[in-house]
Amino acid sequence: MNQIMGEPQGVDFPISAEEIRGLVQPNHVHRRAYSDPAIFALEQERIFGRLWIYVAHESQLKNPGDFIRTRLSKFEVLVTRHHDGNIYVLHNRCPHRGARLCMVDQGSNRAFSCPYHAWVFRPDGSLASVPHPKSYPADFDIADRRNHMQRIANVQSYRGFVFANLSDNPPPLIEHLGPMTDVIDNLIDRAPDGEVEMSESSFALEYRGNWKLHMENAADIFHPTFVHSSSVMPARRAPANASILDQDQTREMLMANGFGFKEWEGIQLKGLDSGHTYMTAFYDSGVLSRQSEDPVSIEYRRRLAEKIGEERAAQVIGMNRFNNIIYPNLIINAQYQQMRIAIPLSVDRTLVRIQCFRLKGAPDGIFHRAVRFISNLGSPASMIFSDDVEMLERCQSGLKTDTGPWIDFSRGLDSDDKGADGSVSGAASEMPMRVQFNAWVRHMTTEAA
Amino acid sequence: MLPYQTLREIELFVFKEARLLDEGEFEAWLDLYAPQGIYWMPSKPGQTDPLNVASIIYEDHAILAIRVQRLLEARALVLTPMPRTVHMVSNIEVLNGEADSQEFEVGSAFLCTEIQGERHRIYTGRQVHHIARDGDSFRIRRKRVALMNCDGVHAPMTIPI
Repeated sequence: MNQIMGEPQGVDFPISAEEIRGLVQPNHVHRRAYSDPAIFALEQERIFGRLWIYVAHESQLKNPGDFIRTRLSKFEVLVTRHHDGNIYVLHNRCPHRGARLCMVDQGSNRAFSCPYHAWVFRPDGSLASVPHPKSYPADFDIADRRNHMQRIANVQSYRGFVFANLSDNPPPLIEHLGPMTDVIDNLIDRAPDGEVEMSESSFALEYRGNWKLHMENAADIFHPTFVHSSSVMPARRAPANASILDQDQTREMLMANGFGFKEWEGIQLKGLDSGHTYMTAFYDSGVLSRQSEDPVSIEYRRRLAEKIGEERAAQVIGMNRFNNIIYPNLIINAQYQQMRIAIPLSVDRTLVRIQCFRLKGAPDGIFHRAVRFISNLGSPASMIFSDDVEMLERCQSGLKTDTGPWIDFSRGLDSDDKGADGSVSGAASEMPMRVQFNAWVRHMTTEAA
Repeated sequence: MLPYQTLREIELFVFKEARLLDEGEFEAWLDLYAPQGIYWMPSKPGQTDPLNVASIIYEDHAILAIRVQRLLEARALVLTPMPRTVHMVSNIEVLNGEADSQEFEVGSAFLCTEIQGERHRIYTGRQVHHIARDGDSFRIRRKRVALMNCDGVHAPMTIPI
């Protein structure tokens, strides 16, 4: 009787655990992992339907009634702040006739009102009123949960980052995040006032490829030298400090993708059993990082040190991790307060959202750099990401056909170092993709939620 | 009312910009910009602040020069094959400027069709050119391109609009 409408139904998938295991070898993955709609449907159930998935940042939901619209597995959901101060995640669907309720990505509403027959819902999803109540039968109860917007049972936050989970009894969010809490901590620690705020700066890009291609690309430091050469070369030839807009940030960022074997030496990749991966010792090599001591950086460091002391400020600013990937689909770069989410739409379509945070208490110039950083990296007209997307689409295109069904992930296989707290490898290794696929197989072969 | 001659000069300048993009004459296109000229494509409708809100493009001559060189690099993956465009500009109105002005603010509507391989795309919206007289022609001080779907979901963009 507690069966709430729209709950993800157990679907009888014709894919056995054995079959799934057969798609992933130590050094190869079968193309079906990227191109089979049945595999995609199973991912929506067993990965996006069971793991903790990032849905919103609390700073987007400051006041009761504030909401954002996003996707959780195959569902469109609203993340809301209710009058009790709590955050709820609701299916964007009127329980009366099934109409989509909210048609915008973000806003503030005292209530969600269905325009069809005027059922009105509070931000926690409960039904506030229906017009002409006497025409409903005697046993119609507006307090009955079946008449409410359906709630996602599990919603937890870690320091303002809100995650939702569709499964019945998930482990605590903190367990899922594991050591990746470090990067969220570091992002917040960078704010002199100890708080970050999601800015309105964001981009949404759709590419014609599987979501995993993007997550692999974000863990891949081997490709930039090749893929981005068309922006590296012109940036190298361009005169320094010629722009009146950005203190040379764009030119430096574009050039930074032109690193070679020497810079690779310094970078280390880390992969955890949970599927999380990141790059360390990243900025030491000069990659993507502004090393000069300019007035904005000096003022920022001064403000941070004033709050937390010189030594701690140096530690916080010096944290040296890039493309921190929280499995399955969240990427955080604390240094430029930037975040990306890959939202799977279908087996061969993915939406990437790119956003940035404002560090409270930091000089405006620091935020202007974060804004410039996401424009350069993630705008639809980005000279960097557009070439990445082109490669992701070419991969998807190639993986459609069964010509040689196996793709290769063997680079670095002989030299990875498997320690107690995860795998470590050099920059050239494909270890992060192997780690992602190990987690993938584990989740995809777990039958019971 | 602006003399027809001045209006026509301005129109022809705006058409020329569109044609240079269609012809792939990106360096000549960039030459239409003043040394500190700015190309701005906001990411939000009505966006007034390019520093605190990220833009799809907010670049001055120096950064645009890198963008143009990339368009000319044979290795730009997203430009293989090179997209072909037709930029249509219409509804031109001079919003600010008199017969003897040195600077004009020019509003127009645009429709850009881009074809790359089997892929067709359409970009549309309104744009405002700030242009200043320079010899017997003009230079662009600032161009603001307001895509109708600027805050929507996009695929990668290649050739400027």
